[in-house]
Amino acid sequence: MADEATIAIDGVEIKAQPGKMVLEVAIEAGIYIPYLCYHPGMKPFAACRLCVVSVEGGRGFPASCTLPVQDGMKIRSNVPDVDQLRRSVMGMLTAEHPNGCLTCHRVDICGPSDVCLRHVSVNDRCVTCPKNERCELKDTVRYLGMDLESPLQYKYRQIPLELGDPFYDRDMNLCIVCGRCVRACEELRGDAAICFTERSGKALVGTSFGTSLLESGCEFCGACIDVCPVGALVESGHKWEKAASVQRTVCPHCPVGCQLNLEINSRGQFIRAVPELNSPANRGQACFKGKFGLEFVNNKTRLNQPLVRRNGQLEEVTWDEALDYVAGRLVEYKGDSFALLSSSNSTNEEHYLAQKFTRAVMETNNVDQTSNTQPELVRALESSLGFAAATNPIWDLEQAGCILVFNTNVTEEQNVVAVPIKRAVKKDTKLVVIDPREVELTRYAQVWLRPAPGTELLLLGGLLRSLVDQGLEQPEWLEENCESPATLRYALHNLDMEDVARTTQVTQEAIAEAASVYGQAEGAAIVYALDNIPGELQRDCVRALIDMALITGHVGRPGSGLYPMRQGANEQGAWDVGCVPDRLPGYEYVSHDDARLAVGAAWECDLPSQPGLDVKSALDAAREGAVKAMLVIGDHANFNNGKLGDGIAALDSLDFLVVHDTFLSPAARVADVVLPRVTFAEKDGTFTNLERRVQRLEPALKFPEGESRPESWVICELARRMSASGFHYHSAEAVMDEIARLSPSYGGISYQRLEQESGLVLQTNLESPQPTQVLYSSKEQRGIQWPCTRENSSSTATLYSDGFPKGKADPITPEFRVAQVQPDPEFPVWLVPGRVLLQRETGMEVVKGKRNQIIREDWVELNPDDAASLSIVQGDPVEVLTRSHRLAAMARLVESLPSGVVATTNLFGQLAVDLQASEELDPASKVPGLEITAAKVVKVDAEGSQ
Amino acid sequence: MATNFQDIDAEAQRRWQAMTAGDRPWIRVGTALCGKAAGCDQVLDALRDSLEKRQVAANLSQVGCLGLCFAEPLVDVQFPGGPRIFYNNVTPETVDEIVASHVEQGTPLAHLALGYLGSGDGASASSGPDPGIPDLAQHPMKAQEHRIALRNAGNIDPADIHQYIANGGYRALYNALTELSPSDTLEHVNASGLRGRGGAAFPAATKWRFLAGSNAPVKYILCNCEEGDPGAFNDKAILESDPQTLVEGIILCGYATGTHNGYIFIRHGHDGPIQRAQEAVRQAEELGLLGDDILGSGFSFHLEVALTGDSYVAGEESALMEAIEGKRAMPRFRPPFPAQVGLFGKPTNINNVKTLSYVPEIVARGGEWFAGIGHEQSTGTAILCLTGSLTYTGMVEVPLGINMKDVLYDIAGGVPGGKSLKLVQSGGPLGGVLGADNVDVLLDFEVLRAAGAILGSGGLIVADEDACAVDLTRALIAFCQYESCGKCFPCRMGMSHLLEVLERICHLEGSVDDLVLMRGIGENMQAGSLCGHGQLGFNPVSSALRYFGPEFDSHIVDRTCPTGRCLRPNFSPVLSRR
Repeated sequence: MADEATIAIDGVEIKAQPGKMVLEVAIEAGIYIPYLCYHPGMKPFAACRLCVVSVEGGRGFPASCTLPVQDGMKIRSNVPDVDQLRRSVMGMLTAEHPNGCLTCHRVDICGPSDVCLRHVSVNDRCVTCPKNERCELKDTVRYLGMDLESPLQYKYRQIPLELGDPFYDRDMNLCIVCGRCVRACEELRGDAAICFTERSGKALVGTSFGTSLLESGCEFCGACIDVCPVGALVESGHKWEKAASVQRTVCPHCPVGCQLNLEINSRGQFIRAVPELNSPANRGQACFKGKFGLEFVNNKTRLNQPLVRRNGQLEEVTWDEALDYVAGRLVEYKGDSFALLSSSNSTNEEHYLAQKFTRAVMETNNVDQTSNTQPELVRALESSLGFAAATNPIWDLEQAGCILVFNTNVTEEQNVVAVPIKRAVKKDTKLVVIDPREVELTRYAQVWLRPAPGTELLLLGGLLRSLVDQGLEQPEWLEENCESPATLRYALHNLDMEDVARTTQVTQEAIAEAASVYGQAEGAAIVYALDNIPGELQRDCVRALIDMALITGHVGRPGSGLYPMRQGANEQGAWDVGCVPDRLPGYEYVSHDDARLAVGAAWECDLPSQPGLDVKSALDAAREGAVKAMLVIGDHANFNNGKLGDGIAALDSLDFLVVHDTFLSPAARVADVVLPRVTFAEKDGTFTNLERRVQRLEPALKFPEGESRPESWVICELARRMSASGFHYHSAEAVMDEIARLSPSYGGISYQRLEQESGLVLQTNLESPQPTQVLYSSKEQRGIQWPCTRENSSSTATLYSDGFPKGKADPITPEFRVAQVQPDPEFPVWLVPGRVLLQRETGMEVVKGKRNQIIREDWVELNPDDAASLSIVQGDPVEVLTRSHRLAAMARLVESLPSGVVATTNLFGQLAVDLQASEELDPASKVPGLEITAAKVVKVDAEGSQ
Repeated sequence: MATNFQDIDAEAQRRWQAMTAGDRPWIRVGTALCGKAAGCDQVLDALRDSLEKRQVAANLSQVGCLGLCFAEPLVDVQFPGGPRIFYNNVTPETVDEIVASHVEQGTPLAHLALGYLGSGDGASASSGPDPGIPDLAQHPMKAQEHRIALRNAGNIDPADIHQYIANGGYRALYNALTELSPSDTLEHVNASGLRGRGGAAFPAATKWRFLAGSNAPVKYILCNCEEGDPGAFNDKAILESDPQTLVEGIILCGYATGTHNGYIFIRHGHDGPIQRAQEAVRQAEELGLLGDDILGSGFSFHLEVALTGDSYVAGEESALMEAIEGKRAMPRFRPPFPAQVGLFGKPTNINNVKTLSYVPEIVARGGEWFAGIGHEQSTGTAILCLTGSLTYTGMVEVPLGINMKDVLYDIAGGVPGGKSLKLVQSGGPLGGVLGADNVDVLLDFEVLRAAGAILGSGGLIVADEDACAVDLTRALIAFCQYESCGKCFPCRMGMSHLLEVLERICHLEGSVDDLVLMRGIGENMQAGSLCGHGQLGFNPVSSALRYFGPEFDSHIVDRTCPTGRCLRPNFSPVLSRR
């Protein structure tokens, strides 16, 4: 087959790749062929038959979405016989979709309450359809020039609207059964929560057995809404709002770095987010947080004026007053009695400025991000391999032969990472999950190892030993690329596998199977976090995971590698630009004299050499009085969820606290000065996602009325008022240029280059009725994956493909041990919460109302031995008590559960309900994590007393 | 497990001898679908009771369909060395009489008997056992038959692989494995001129060659027994009467094409065929005729029975593959064709039950022998299901090239009750109808196609003068509408609109514009639909308009139904999905 074919569509010659479908080629060339069931990014479906064409010398009317390009093909699209066939299909389609307005020349002129001469009822009018402005059916009807008269009679389907589910409204009276949503759910997301229902004239889309979305296994990602060409599936928020402008930016919720197109209405209000189709990080996908959790930018309670505490009350002041006051006070705390906590959704430029301000102006290294509670996640990566970041791109996971997911609930925390994993599993990739909790991915796993909490490290030791025992090491690769893992072999040699199995409560067979699956795969990737790993084991767990990747040679190739699952959206960037207590931009140690002097020279000042306090220590120091003043940027769940102790109390004990935040958050309430902060939607800058991809944020909204400002502005103003030099930047771009000069990995990155590298992927003609997503996606902004050291060096997708920076990787031998947790006599067992999309077992009912609720009988799973010792039998009512919670449920005995553990599962659907109903200002950022906690189980007798 | 075919064959022969040449009579009851519908289960129970009550020793077997469905429940009694004497329309009440007189005393009951057949041991059957009992071989339904695929139907116990082997079964496979190369085996099929019996009449050998030419390590052979056409039951009958012939045919296909995996795909609800197919696969596996290293030849073949939901379109080859994969049965687009990307993305060959059931005899007797039967390019036989207004309804296997008129009037005995034949519906609902004047046509793929009809699945439904052509068209379209899978727009919506118009006409509320409207919808369905269901879905209407235009006119213009059928307040109800 030739590499290139030439075809002609209505006489226009196009060069195309043979085997590609004619419709795809036409779209790329900017030639419009009408279509409704096809959607870029999905496999063709060939159902709507609107893209039919005729081929010179060919038979009949093939659908161009499934017609492979052949050299010399002469396609006719805009000819009478093809047009006649399309109009016939459209004629029937408009007989089942409200059509009075579609075929009317006044379609865009009438208002909802105008008198209609065609007697189109108000409910059937386009103007009362939520998708009116982005309706592909309307555009296609207009393109085909449908007549007013049709012999076919329109019948309203009279299907009740489904308005009860969180986030979505479904109106099946508008559905044209193109199947895009069904395919998006199954093909793109790997979920299949919705399906076709019935057949023939009654064929529609719904959940199987007509359940609510809550029960159907829906993860509320919104993929179906994004592809729906009509008003059948819409977001329930801002349902009837029309976009006046669209701006692409990056989601602030998690480190995946989804590019989102924010739709803004004519009043300058954010109305909805549509994930970017041509974004390399999310490929048109988003999640419940990114799709539905951005409403906070419109919140009316946003701060818009600086506040200063006077006589115990926060009072509104002008920026000048506030900044002068803060600058004046901060001078008193120069040195180690000051600390700055930056936000995980600050941009790279802001992180950079924050650490520069702390170091150069405040003369201390006490700078960190609030989300950075688990620095061990990446430290070992840096020391063993070279870089403190994920080795491969997210969508590489789709190519992996095996994926090992360790202690992370990606479906909830970094949702879009789960998409390539699930898609890979559907294509035969083996999935190994190591987690005491039942999470969505455990259901996709070939092997689910469920160790007793605290024994995860020992289990990893067992896996390593099993890899070695099964001869799955790659000696040649090791020899060439790795320091000798001799001490590791010695440590493994001393590992007693029986003891491992006994302690972790995972069978030796299961360990061997997981090891063989991982070791034998062509490429194998590790996706890990340290969600419930006790602090003392965190570093060694990561070392063990790295050792696994190294001894099997699963590093440095596509489809392999390690992916640390960070928490904050721009945590990676914060590390990169030195917003951590012990590192300067470019990962240089502050204690390293040459590096410090070099940075100091660039900044024209002397820098402190003593490593600073990280977020945990800084709060501890605040409690002890060693740190007296703090500048906190942004609120974070960590202040409240116990990960940092009682964070708010620690902040309250400071002499002087400045909080720069969007809302009057708990931290702001105890502050001396509160400065209003803009949201991500108003920012200019860059984020670096977990795959090291530097992506541009561009302001979608103007700075709101009032006076909120980004932290970059605040920091520069403060520095100026404290008479520091080096804080005069014209724009965020200038900050990035400075970062590029100081951080070798960012050496070749500039805004100009980010802009230049975005490729035109589609020649859209706004007259043509392309899907909304396609219209937004004319440009592909790939971002740049660091290391990109020079102006002319390219983006690095896979780390270590040309070897390791230090020549060889350096595996570090962990000490395979279990957590030394003092048993708590009052709470002797571990409560392990899980979250699944779907639970069919029993006792579940959905109460349909304004907002559907799941009422179900909760189960608590117990090991039969534990149950016996508490004289609990299957079905007994029990209560699980933790220090803060109490859960009544029915006991269920599960053999596979480790003893000393009780497990519960929550439903994802219920989470969605809670999120939507939440009064929290930013519900998505406060998704409760699945923390393992100490608990006790008590049997409740029939009367309900213990 | 027996290791060689000689042992298996010897064992089968021993068992067959015990059945036919022992000292007991052999009673066979037809318990295929037609028998079950007529009440054979009660007859069988009564028969067991009677034998027990009278303490008569007899071999009792359940067999498949002999083709004489009008005569069901059909029971035959055969004494060793004697002919089979058939009793038609047996009721539980007459059973005891038959047992008392014939089984116990050895005296056949001429007044209850339909006829006799053969003599069981190959002796001349020219002289009947009783002057009052006619020779069944001379019966119109039997006289012109040439049984190949149905050679064992009604004769052997379908649940017993040994009876199949004793009657020559698996010899073709044994010979192929030991003496023929795969390409020789394929050449037999090529020489036979065998064409697909599922409707498209595509040469089987050509299809097989696509599969044989693929080097993919995993390939599949699918046998399609979805058989959803109303009035067609020959696939089910083969599975119910002689499933092993199909299993052997599939293995031979696998051998010829170098394929090691196959599925028999049966519609959910065809309980008898499902049970028989599962039994047959299990028994063949037990004897080492299926599975790894068949008969020590080194050739392996694995066969599974897969079920679909209740869907007509699941019989479309790509929808069938979707269904086996566990998805909703909706057709795929082509290209890629199944021969390249089929089941589970692997190269796949799909044949109908009938097509594959011919293969053992073709390999056993040679392709030329098969090519000698039939008419021109249409070699072999047609298995016809005769239903509707006919004297004799049932299933016959006749050489292709026979005149349809002869089938209807000679074999099936014409329309009973002195009424006249009005129309014939052939090849399933999508095949369209033929008027009474147009049945003088040869059953030959090319001739039929030229006449605007298809042989399709082999179902011939006959309507007499009482039927209303418009109402019948409505019923056919109602079926097509109900069974549309709902994927492609022209078929999903077009069928509903066609049905709506036809209902309007049947309610005598149609207008002349409706005919134009139907043609518009139909032609676009034909041009725009994804699969055959939509592409052929207008055939019932277009053929009815061709032959019965005036009848439509009288419904629309005169507002009367000539047969009076459409005037009834509740005319035949149909299922509908609208």
